[in-house]
Amino acid sequence: MLPDYDSLAPATWAEALAALAAQPDVVPIAGGTNVVVGMRAGELRGRTLMDINRLPELHGIRVSDGHVVIGGGTTVAELLASPAITEHAYPLHQAAAAFANPLVRNRATIGGNLVDASPAADTYPPLLVLDAEVELVSLHGVRWLPLDQFVLGVNQTERRPEELLRSVRWPLAPERSAGLHHKLALRKGTACSVMSAAVRVDTDQLGRCTAARIALGAVAPRPIRAHEAEQSLVGESLTEVTIRRAAQLAGQACRPIDDVRSSAAYRRRVAEVVVRRLLTAVDLELKEGAQA
Amino acid sequence: MDVHLTINGEAWTLDVRAGELLLHALRRAGFYGVKHGCETGECGACAIILNHRLVNSCTMLAAQADGASIITIEGLAPDRPGARGWLDPIQQAFIDCGAIQCGYCTPAQILAAKALLRENSSPTEREVREALAGVICRCTGYVKPVQAVLRVAALLRGEPAPAFDETDDGTPALPFPSTGDLPEAEEPPAFTSSGAEPTPTAIRVDAPRLILAPPRPDTRVVNRPAIKVDAVKLAKGRPVFTDDLTLPGMLYGALLTSPQAHARIRTIDTAQARALPGVHAVLTYQDVPRVIYASGGQSYPNPPPYDQVSLDSKVRHVGDRVAAVAAESPEIAEEALGLIQVEYEPLPAVFDPLEAMQEGAPVIHDEPDAVGIHDAERNLVHDLHVAYGDVEQGLAEADLVVEREYRVHQVQQVHIEPHVCITWWDEDDRLVVRSSTQVPFHTRRMLAPLVQLPIRRIRVIKPRIGGGFGGKQEMVLEDLCAHLTLATGRPVRMEYTREQSFASARSRHPQILRYRVGANKDGTLTAVHLHIIADKGAYGPHGLTVQFVSGFRGLSTYRAPHLRFDCQVVYTNKPAPGAYRGYGAPQALFALESVMEETALALGFDPVEFKRRNWLREGDEITMAKAMGEGREGFQQFVRSSGLEQCVQQGAAIANWERRYDPNWRFDPARPHIRRGLGFAVAMHGSGIAGLDMGAASIKLNDDGSFNLTVGATDLGTGSDTILAQIAAEVLGVPTEDILVYSSDTDLTPFDKGAYASSTTYISGNAVFKAAQEVRQQIIQHAARHLFLDPDPQQMTLEGRQVWTHDGRSVPLDQVALHSLHQATQHQIMASASHMSYESPPPFSAQFAELEVDIQTGQVTVQRLVIAVDCGTAINPVTASGQVEGGVIQALGYTLCEEMAYDHAGRLLTTDLRSYRVFAADEVPEMPVILVQTYEPSGPYGAKAVGEIPKHGVAPAVASAIFHATGVRLRALPFTPERVWQRLQEAQIPGVSS
Repeated sequence: MLPDYDSLAPATWAEALAALAAQPDVVPIAGGTNVVVGMRAGELRGRTLMDINRLPELHGIRVSDGHVVIGGGTTVAELLASPAITEHAYPLHQAAAAFANPLVRNRATIGGNLVDASPAADTYPPLLVLDAEVELVSLHGVRWLPLDQFVLGVNQTERRPEELLRSVRWPLAPERSAGLHHKLALRKGTACSVMSAAVRVDTDQLGRCTAARIALGAVAPRPIRAHEAEQSLVGESLTEVTIRRAAQLAGQACRPIDDVRSSAAYRRRVAEVVVRRLLTAVDLELKEGAQA
Repeated sequence: MDVHLTINGEAWTLDVRAGELLLHALRRAGFYGVKHGCETGECGACAIILNHRLVNSCTMLAAQADGASIITIEGLAPDRPGARGWLDPIQQAFIDCGAIQCGYCTPAQILAAKALLRENSSPTEREVREALAGVICRCTGYVKPVQAVLRVAALLRGEPAPAFDETDDGTPALPFPSTGDLPEAEEPPAFTSSGAEPTPTAIRVDAPRLILAPPRPDTRVVNRPAIKVDAVKLAKGRPVFTDDLTLPGMLYGALLTSPQAHARIRTIDTAQARALPGVHAVLTYQDVPRVIYASGGQSYPNPPPYDQVSLDSKVRHVGDRVAAVAAESPEIAEEALGLIQVEYEPLPAVFDPLEAMQEGAPVIHDEPDAVGIHDAERNLVHDLHVAYGDVEQGLAEADLVVEREYRVHQVQQVHIEPHVCITWWDEDDRLVVRSSTQVPFHTRRMLAPLVQLPIRRIRVIKPRIGGGFGGKQEMVLEDLCAHLTLATGRPVRMEYTREQSFASARSRHPQILRYRVGANKDGTLTAVHLHIIADKGAYGPHGLTVQFVSGFRGLSTYRAPHLRFDCQVVYTNKPAPGAYRGYGAPQALFALESVMEETALALGFDPVEFKRRNWLREGDEITMAKAMGEGREGFQQFVRSSGLEQCVQQGAAIANWERRYDPNWRFDPARPHIRRGLGFAVAMHGSGIAGLDMGAASIKLNDDGSFNLTVGATDLGTGSDTILAQIAAEVLGVPTEDILVYSSDTDLTPFDKGAYASSTTYISGNAVFKAAQEVRQQIIQHAARHLFLDPDPQQMTLEGRQVWTHDGRSVPLDQVALHSLHQATQHQIMASASHMSYESPPPFSAQFAELEVDIQTGQVTVQRLVIAVDCGTAINPVTASGQVEGGVIQALGYTLCEEMAYDHAGRLLTTDLRSYRVFAADEVPEMPVILVQTYEPSGPYGAKAVGEIPKHGVAPAVASAIFHATGVRLRALPFTPERVWQRLQEAQIPGVSS
């Protein structure tokens, strides 16, 4: 059961920002799937809840100026149903499909998932490989942060208390690029992931890797990029040897904690296996694309 | 604040608090079909349709629903004057397909289907499973709910119901309901305004591969599907569960639990909590009488030990009881808990039973008034030794001795309805306890001394139960709730949170099982020795009898001349295990089936052939039955019916067992890291506790020829009310709907020991059979004497709501009723009967598992679980197969992913359904069910039990299949990816580390 709270329901974006500026301990609530659970556990910082669900500024998925831009209040179900996401952010589509269960997907928002910053948050690895940035807005202005810099640690981000995460954007992928996501869990969606990974590889006309992105979830206090693994692929063709080396480096990048779901050694090991399989599948997709 | 919204098409204004959850606001407004299950958005019982989307109402604020349009189950086909009981086609399909068991999650499942079909009129099975995936059902295994949704989708598209007339292999399926040429029930109410015409119920149920092998008894009602007697009210989400009631002046109870694994309460200060406005009582050990008891709901006298009191000055596990509060609202009660100041003196704690037995280990039960602990200084609750023959001699004579150790873990029942009860004083100063319990009569008897009232001043009412699975064969809340009513004079309601359901309720006993098996080269067994060390947690309920069942079941399936059981039951500072469906047998049969397969392979035998040589057959004595009753000496027993061989043959055919011998099948060239395997296990259980369990029934005839059947038997979602009605209907020659069943209320129904030990069909069913036979005789005698003027009632029969003479004359039952009640020798035709049996006839099963192992990640994906069950005559094949399907999926969770895990301080880490993993609809394998019918001479219409047997075979069959796939034997449950991976690493099988 819950202690009592104050509540705010700002009608406009400006009101919401003003409320946050005036009272930094206001807790924005969108879908509620994290905030309400946190309330029950007594983990909320503030005692005033501000419903931001209806603010139109937080909604919409659009493609413009070479970017995909989605509102922070976009639900995971909306991501899953969006043809634009399927076309331009397939790893994110896959992560949305593996996200919790359909009821939670209908409420949980991308902004909430990012701000909550669980080490196992499903949307981080795909957005990291897409080079996503988040837009943070307060009365003082707007700033864009690369997602990799936004997330700091377990439930910690660069968001200041007076800021709202208005949108997430990433550039459209170049030609000859492919990406995939995989979540390893004891069951499907509902269980938090044992670990998850997303990869993306851009290639030149000869099939050589011009850029690689490898991101891992639940293997460190925050979702991480495996930079050494990525670098090892640049300039190379994807072969069994290069894939294997990159996967090993990705495994070594893990800094997992032991917890109820799994030991550190196991997470490191399966991170390597999952990255290897993802890179192999991406390679296949790129080759098929080249033939088509 | 006011929230304006539309609920089920009507405008509502709800006065809510800022932090109030939509779930609570809706229930407060009377929408009781919205259920509380887990608080974290994992179980989906609280689902509603919000602006056309299915969402959890427990993880959003009521304030957030301002302006929204909500549909709850009450809005699907609202009861209206002249049209009560009409149904949405989805509700109808759930009823027709037998998709409803306990019914607690049914409203949410139906709403999930509603939301799906609005967007997709032609869903595939996979899409249906994904749509249902957010609603956890612990009863059905999802087979029948998925069928129901596919069926209604087809009907709504205007198609005939899809392929429901035949099973996949062409076996005729079951007409539904099969009332033969009995007259139709009343016309369904006409209702046309929404265009949703009620569909007739006389349609066929989708029951793929539900095969009823002969013999089929010559019956009209029994051994045929019948609609569950409680199906309509459950489908409509009517307020039938314990918490669906708000009494005037009702207070809300809350429980303070221990953060310490082992500690004395040095001081406890409740002054601030008591001073909080709205708080009416705060109870600690200083406020309630110290009366020792055992909380397990078992027959008198409860098996020892008696090691609990309602509230104590010592805590023995994290989650143990510390204090209870009653307040005007749940929020005030919760706040009051936070104001109770407790100073603990921490004591060393012990969590491993092997350590707990050592000299110098912390003594968990040092209180002087505990009774019946074998050796409290060594934390030894029980030290059990039972021998048949001389095991050492048998082992010495064997060609080969196989010694193996297995480990099984702690899992939880996870009934979606938490423990909940409401207590109040009635107008006669009697304490009424409305509780979600499997054991209302035991609860009344056990509660009386704790609240120091005579039994006659207590009335226990069991409404519908939202699942129990043994968890509610236990008095975990009723005494505290009653103490709060005694302290305040007010009605009090108490309900566990999901966290308390894990940390402060019961679970399955973890065990270490050591087998020594002696066998000869010819494949015969010379001796079997089973030594169990069982983890009892902090308290003793069910500790003796669960372990006795482990020993008995672990030494019963196979014949051997020498048998021995040794067992130490040991306290640890963990939440106490208790009764969980299977009751010791799933533990033992995992180890038994595994060790028998290992022995067979060591001897060079095919495991199936080896087991076949040794398993019990009809006519064999169950040799340990006499030595091992329910924690005491039992009764000699023989197998009088067994379909085990048929189960194995039928199951093997459906499972394509011969693929096991095709080496190519095990590998997938496209996925070199995958190994396939097929595994096998058999199981045997019992039907009730021989010489102990008793059920009683009472039947009376009404003016219109209908009958009231009152039973103490406790339908916890299993369908027992329905099959008991079918038995009565069969005897009395009427359709099932003529039997009005009521269960159970200690004031109104005769005694029944309750729903456990696979006893209801066999024991309570026989009681109903006897009572119905007596009523039948009274009907015939009255008809013979007064209506037929025929001196020979012997040749009369009851059929089609008529009494028939041998020469074809008939009189309807309502005339017999009216005549006997009003016109001649006026009397009430009625009878009561009770039943007890010195036999506990064993149901059998054969379980097959087909799976893939990813040898690089250790992930095990079970693709198919084929089970063939001999439950004697299936009184209702649809509810029986539903029991099997649900049991198999619970067992798969036990096998693969469910596990109560602790940190170093004994704090449970798995306190919600996110960290404790229960299978959802889109995660379960295909599950064909075969019912191999036998005729058990001592059962009603040949029936045996079916409730627990499906829990036993899955873990050993999966272990068998993993071994087949990889050559690696797993001897510790559960088979999580990491555990499998580690074992594969150790075994260094090719391809693992590449």
